[in-house]
Amino acid sequence: MKNPASMRRRQKSPVFVALLLFNLVLVLIQLWLFVSVLEDVLVGQFRMAIPGAITSLVILVVNVWMLRGIGRMDSSS
Amino acid sequence: MDTRVQQDFPIDWEEDHYVSRREFFKFMTLASGGLAVGSVALAAWSKLPRDERHFEASAVAKKNDLQPGKAFAFTYPRPTDLCILIQKPDGSYVAYSRRCTHLSCPVDYQPEHNRLFCPCHNGAFSLEDGHVLQGPPPHPLPSILLEVRGDEIWAVGVKSEAPSA
Repeated sequence: MKNPASMRRRQKSPVFVALLLFNLVLVLIQLWLFVSVLEDVLVGQFRMAIPGAITSLVILVVNVWMLRGIGRMDSSS
Repeated sequence: MDTRVQQDFPIDWEEDHYVSRREFFKFMTLASGGLAVGSVALAAWSKLPRDERHFEASAVAKKNDLQPGKAFAFTYPRPTDLCILIQKPDGSYVAYSRRCTHLSCPVDYQPEHNRLFCPCHNGAFSLEDGHVLQGPPPHPLPSILLEVRGDEIWAVGVKSEAPSA
């Protein structure tokens, strides 16, 4: 019979990789958003500045939430 | 120097400074925080009032220098900032920056079309408020705020219109 603790560790690894990839995708979206808004602002168009900031903050909250989730995952094992 | 090289390229794997996945996750979250702060700063900066700026007033022309339907070139606020003062057919005065908002070619007044025209790429601006009538310019012309003081016309500031969407 397999050790349940080692099985849990093996399950956690793909979850961690998935979270890490999701984090990378979110940061790339955030970077693209920031550069787009910066380009708009530099040519004098400010319409996207507020929505861009709100979206960026939401992405940050999701990333922090995932980071805390990883911390909780570590402490529960 | 040798110590630094040994630190950067250790022989034993245990001594190497691996970045763990958790550290990488933390770093990416930190980068996310930096981008969020930058985005909020851009949003705050976009809300600063900047459409109307007042400079030191300067006499740019006398009333006698102009006639209805004629233009007069001057510089304001700096000697390198080319502007154009126009007396409209109704007798009122308007002034705009002469730099086309496309590629900074000087614009000319076309009284027959009642517009300001950029000959470089056929851009045209309205005489009423400087908005783009045709061509590639992305923004309206900045208008020069004027005051008539006795016999003289004074420039007192620059107003940049909200960019056309």
